[in-house]
Amino acid sequence: MRKFKRNDLGGLFSNTVIEAALLLWVIVQMYPIFWLFMSSFKPSNLVRARIFDLPKSFYFANYNFAKFNEEGITILIYLKNSAIVTGVSLVILMITSVLAAYGIAKLKVPGKNILIVILLALIGVPVHALMIPIFYFFVRLDMINSYWSLIFPYVAFNIPFAVVVLQTFFRQFPNELIEAAKIDGCGNLRTFFSVVIPVSLGAIFSVLVVCFLAIWNEFLFSLVMMRNNEVKTLPVGLMGFKGRYIVEWGPMMAALVIAIIPTIVFYIIFNRSLLKGISAGAIKG
Amino acid sequence: MRSEKEIREYLTGIAFVLPAIIFLILFIAYPIIQSLALSFFKWRGVGPWKFVGFYNYIRMFTRDRYFFRALKNTILFTILMMSGEMTLGFIYAVLIDLGIRGWKAYRFIFFLPVTLSQVAISLLWVKIFQQEGLVNVFLGVLHLEQFQQIWLGDAKFAMWCLIFVAWWQWGGWHMVFFLAGMQAIDPQIYEQAKIDGASTLRRVFSITIPLLKNVWFILVVLCLINGFKMFDLVYVMTTGGPASATEVLGTQIYQHAFDVHKYGYASVLAVIMVTASLIITIFYVRVSGYRQEVLGE
Repeated sequence: MRKFKRNDLGGLFSNTVIEAALLLWVIVQMYPIFWLFMSSFKPSNLVRARIFDLPKSFYFANYNFAKFNEEGITILIYLKNSAIVTGVSLVILMITSVLAAYGIAKLKVPGKNILIVILLALIGVPVHALMIPIFYFFVRLDMINSYWSLIFPYVAFNIPFAVVVLQTFFRQFPNELIEAAKIDGCGNLRTFFSVVIPVSLGAIFSVLVVCFLAIWNEFLFSLVMMRNNEVKTLPVGLMGFKGRYIVEWGPMMAALVIAIIPTIVFYIIFNRSLLKGISAGAIKG
Repeated sequence: MRSEKEIREYLTGIAFVLPAIIFLILFIAYPIIQSLALSFFKWRGVGPWKFVGFYNYIRMFTRDRYFFRALKNTILFTILMMSGEMTLGFIYAVLIDLGIRGWKAYRFIFFLPVTLSQVAISLLWVKIFQQEGLVNVFLGVLHLEQFQQIWLGDAKFAMWCLIFVAWWQWGGWHMVFFLAGMQAIDPQIYEQAKIDGASTLRRVFSITIPLLKNVWFILVVLCLINGFKMFDLVYVMTTGGPASATEVLGTQIYQHAFDVHKYGYASVLAVIMVTASLIITIFYVRVSGYRQEVLGE
């Protein structure tokens, strides 16, 4: 990333005023998350009675999720389901998208310009308007409550974005490298795997990171498809806390922490790829 | 005549593209067509479809006040969320781009909520807005008891609570787009303006804002599209209530389909949403020249 230091704040009020205002807003921005973490370590009665207090000691009982199993909220199972669905979806998504993007960018494909226009149009389609036909598609196949009833739609919904971004990237890939590999006797597939893929890992990864968040956090389709408790993903499972456990704030806070920790860790590690991937679909570069 | 080599090349190309196309046909194109078809039928999930012509459409447009309420709310939500999120995102981006002290930390913090599960965030804010939640306790500490509310239970406030959560969560998302656009601006333009004596604020208004017009444009388009998709936040925080004050198209379609099993009627909403978003996208692709950019023409 380019160095940002190109300007002073002079003339835009004083630096101190701006920094103070910004700091105040950061507190508003961060406090809910801080409060969530803090409350997850307090017994339920203290979460409410001493709402602003730091926990006096770490109360880990909230994280004892086994306690809730018989009440029908099985956080660890939801976590496992989310991991499976997201993992398998991403693998299939990346294979199909990378292949398609490369095909559109570098190979002879009949009607490829129309294909790109269709892909662009599909990025905007509100997929949740399509849940009725998709739901009955899986009902007829008797696949409701199967991981595949989520994996297949998730792959499809993310293909337009992934292919459009990746094909923009592949287009800039130097043809000379591909030609050179062909002269060395590589077929299309060999060239693709041993020349193109290794150089493109950065771009592929940016797309992967964006799609990970979209799939991990998806709620509506999971709500419609996953009817059995054993197959619910985390966002749907968390809904079990709505309405119930009004008294039990502590365990609910702990469950929410477990739900957001994976994406926070993910964000901390892959921060740069993620920021790149988010804007890649819209702005060239 | 096409040579055998040429045919082989085409077949390779098709083989690369085919898996993706199969997914798109099965789970996007076919459902769109089926939704369109289903919107002309009456169907409760079992038995044969019963053809009713335009009945579903006529009923929705003439007799369904919930539809108009949801449509109005969807538009209101979209506009209010968009303006706040964009303003916040722009301010974040300007300050970060100016290189304010600790900009890396700010960029990290402002984007953080974007990565979090909407359901988890919504459940957290339900607790914050609850009767004995953070907001009311805080007002009590400040001795402002007269302002304490059951925030989400009051039709006057519920919508604004959801909008605030959206501002809180999505400002950073807009920031990323603005930052990407700002990096493409030639620093020399700023230098020149500085030499000419333009203040920082002046430079923001007469250089940054106009030069980012493409970014503003795409963000508006993305917000309009995302506005139709609005569901998680409403469903978790208020389920459309109180008294359908926060009902949106997304929650209506879910309700018609999966609560009362009127699939044909719900499909009318699906058709409206898909059509509107396709019009917006196609408009965008045509006007912006985005297609040329993507095609590399």
